[in-house]
Amino acid sequence: MTSSSQVIVVGTGVVGSVIAEHCLDAGLEVLMIEAGPRVSRAQIVENYRNLPLGAKPDATASYPPADWAPHPFHGLEHLESTGPNKYDPTYIRYAGGSTWHWAGTSWRLTPEDMQLRSRYGVGRDWAFDYETLDPYYNMTERKLGICGPADPLDQWPRRDRSMPYPMPHLPLSQGERKFTEVMQTKLGLRNVPVAQARNSGMPYDDRPACCANNNCVPVCPVGAKYDAATSLNRLEAKGATILDNSVVYRVETGEGNRIVAVHYYDRDKTSHRVTGEHFVIACNGVETPRLMLMSADDRNPNGIANSSDQVGRNMMDHPQQGYTFTTTEPYWLGAGPVVNSGIMETSQGDFRRDHAAVYFRLNNFARNRDIAKRAMASGKVGRALDEEIRRLTATSLNVVAAFEMLPDPNNRLTLSAQKDWLGLPRPSVYWDVGDYVRRSSVEYSNPLAQRIAEAVGATDFKPASPEKFSTSKHIMGGTIMGNDAATSVVDRHSRTHDHANLYLPGGGAMASTACGNSTITMTAMAFMAAEALVSEAKGA
Amino acid sequence: MLASAMPSFTFAATQDIESRFMGASQLLVNHDLSPAVGARIAAFAQASYPNLGDMLDRITETAATRGASRVEDFFDAIPEGELRDFAFWVISAWYTGSSSGDRDATLFTYEEALLYQPTIDMVPIPTFGFSAPNAWGNDLYPLTDLPRF
Repeated sequence: MTSSSQVIVVGTGVVGSVIAEHCLDAGLEVLMIEAGPRVSRAQIVENYRNLPLGAKPDATASYPPADWAPHPFHGLEHLESTGPNKYDPTYIRYAGGSTWHWAGTSWRLTPEDMQLRSRYGVGRDWAFDYETLDPYYNMTERKLGICGPADPLDQWPRRDRSMPYPMPHLPLSQGERKFTEVMQTKLGLRNVPVAQARNSGMPYDDRPACCANNNCVPVCPVGAKYDAATSLNRLEAKGATILDNSVVYRVETGEGNRIVAVHYYDRDKTSHRVTGEHFVIACNGVETPRLMLMSADDRNPNGIANSSDQVGRNMMDHPQQGYTFTTTEPYWLGAGPVVNSGIMETSQGDFRRDHAAVYFRLNNFARNRDIAKRAMASGKVGRALDEEIRRLTATSLNVVAAFEMLPDPNNRLTLSAQKDWLGLPRPSVYWDVGDYVRRSSVEYSNPLAQRIAEAVGATDFKPASPEKFSTSKHIMGGTIMGNDAATSVVDRHSRTHDHANLYLPGGGAMASTACGNSTITMTAMAFMAAEALVSEAKGA
Repeated sequence: MLASAMPSFTFAATQDIESRFMGASQLLVNHDLSPAVGARIAAFAQASYPNLGDMLDRITETAATRGASRVEDFFDAIPEGELRDFAFWVISAWYTGSSSGDRDATLFTYEEALLYQPTIDMVPIPTFGFSAPNAWGNDLYPLTDLPRF
C-alpha cells in the first residue's frame, strides 16, 4: 500500500482532479485519496433508469452511498440541519465527486460580485479582483470544455473577453427562443444562453457531442458533459495513484505546524497513514471543514487551519425558489440540456446594498415526469388523457430564482454528537438564509417572477413563500478566503494561513456567492492553488 | 407427485391472471401494450389486490355489455369506488411505469411507460438520445398532433 507521496490530494472531484493534473504535468508525484467508490457511467445510468418515477427528480438517488462514505441520501441520516431553514446539499462521495450530477452550468463571477463590501457595504470583498481571476477562468474553460456564446451581448459578464470560449454555445430549443423573445419584447430582459461544460456540436477532450439526452442531472449518459470521473483514467495514465474507498479522517501536523501525514480508513475500518510534502484537501465545502475540525490536536485545539475560528463558519449556498406555471401556448421545454438559458442581468445593481441579487433560470427538464401526477389526477382516460399529458408537458414552465447569500459566521458547520458508520462525527449545519435574502424574495424576486409569468401568458402563477427556500446545492464559505489571517482560513492561493503546505481549494474558499453556479469559480481557484503549490514544490 | 404438480398449477394460474390482466388492460388503454410489462404489473397487482381476478372480470364484462373496445366507450359504466379506483390504478401503472408516485414505489418499466409517448415527437425520454448534435431546434409542433403509439 502506498505510504508516501510528494503531493497528496484528498478528493477526486473537479477541484482535486484539476490540481492533481497540474501537478502531474509539472512532474510531481501525486497520490489521490477518495472516500467513495469508483463506478462506471453505465452503472449510474442503469441506477437512474431503474428508479420509480417518484424518485427520479432526486439528484442523488442514483448514487447510493457506501457504508464507509455516507453522503446526504434519502432515508440515511448523515448531515444534520438546524436553524430556521433546511440545509439540504446533494454532494456525493464517489470518485469524480459531485460533478457526476451537476448541470454543467458555468457562469463566471462579475467584477462587482467580488467587491460587495467596497461597492455596496455588505458581505466581504475577495482577496483579489476579477482581472486576477480572469486567466484562470480561461484555463478552466479549456480544461473542462465549456461552450458559450460568441455574441458579447449574450456573454456573462458583459465585458470584453480575453479569450473566446473553446466551443460555440448549444442551440436553444424553439421554446427557449420563444421565451427569450418574450422576455426581450415584453420586459426588456435578456435571456442568454448558458455557458456550460458540455460538448457543443463536436467532440472535445475525448468525449462526444451532446445529443439532447436531457439527463445532465443526475448523469450524462454519454459523457458529453464534463464530470471529473471522465478525467481519472487520464490522470492515472500521467502517473497518478488513486485510492478509492479510503476515508481520510485525520490530518496530522508536525514541526512548525506543517502537515506531515493524513490517516485514512479502508472499507474494513483498518487505519493507514500516508506521509507527504504538500497536501490538498478538496473534499467539498462540507467534508473539508468537517475533516479540519475532526483533526484537532494539541497544536491546533480548535481544529486544523482554525486559529481564526472561521473553519465551518460562513456556510453559503444559492437559496432558491421555484415557480411552476402553465401557459396557454406551447413552449415544449425539454429538448436539449436541462439548463440552457437564464436571465443574469437581474443579479447586478445598487439594490445589493439592501437585498440580495437574483438570477432567473429557465429549467429545460422534460416536463413529463413532473406533470404526471397532475395528468393522472385529472380523471381523464383514453385520448383525452393523452391530450392532457401533451398539453401539460408543452405548456408547463419551471423558472427558478437563485439568490446570492452573504457570509454569516452564525451559519456554521460543527461536529455532531452523532457518529457515522466508521464512528466519525457527522456534520451538523446551522442554516438561516438571512433577511438579506428574505427581503429580496418579497421586494424583488417575487414581483419579477410574476412579471415573467404574466409575460408568457401564465394562468396560474403563485408567489413563493418568503419563508421557504430550497438549497441550490452549491456549497460555499466554510473555509473562507481572505488576506487577514485573523478573519479567514485560506489566502489568495487557497493555502491555509496556519499551515504552509496545506491547501483547501474549492467552494469553501469563496468569499461571496453571487448568483451563478459556483463550479467554474472553484475550478479557477484550483488552478491558482495548483500554480502556487507547484511553485513551492519547485522551490521557486 | 403432488409436489411436482404444484409448480405447473401455479404457472398455469399465473398465466391465466396475466392473460386476464392484459385483456382488461387493452380495454383500459388504447395503445399497443407490452406483455412483459403487463406481467410485471399483474404480479404486483396480484400481491396487492386479493380480489384481482374478480375485478379484471368485472371490467371486461362492463366493456362487453357496452360492446366497447375503447376505454372512452365504457369507462363511465365502471362503478365508482373500489373498481373505478382499480381501473385508474391500472391506467396509471401503464402510463407512469410505477406502482405509485411514491419514491419507494415498484418500477414496472421506464422507457416503455406511456407517459412519454404523447410527446415523443418533441421531448426525449431522458437518458435516450433525441437528435444529432446541436440539431434539436425543431419547430413547435401543435398540441393537436398526437403521435401514434
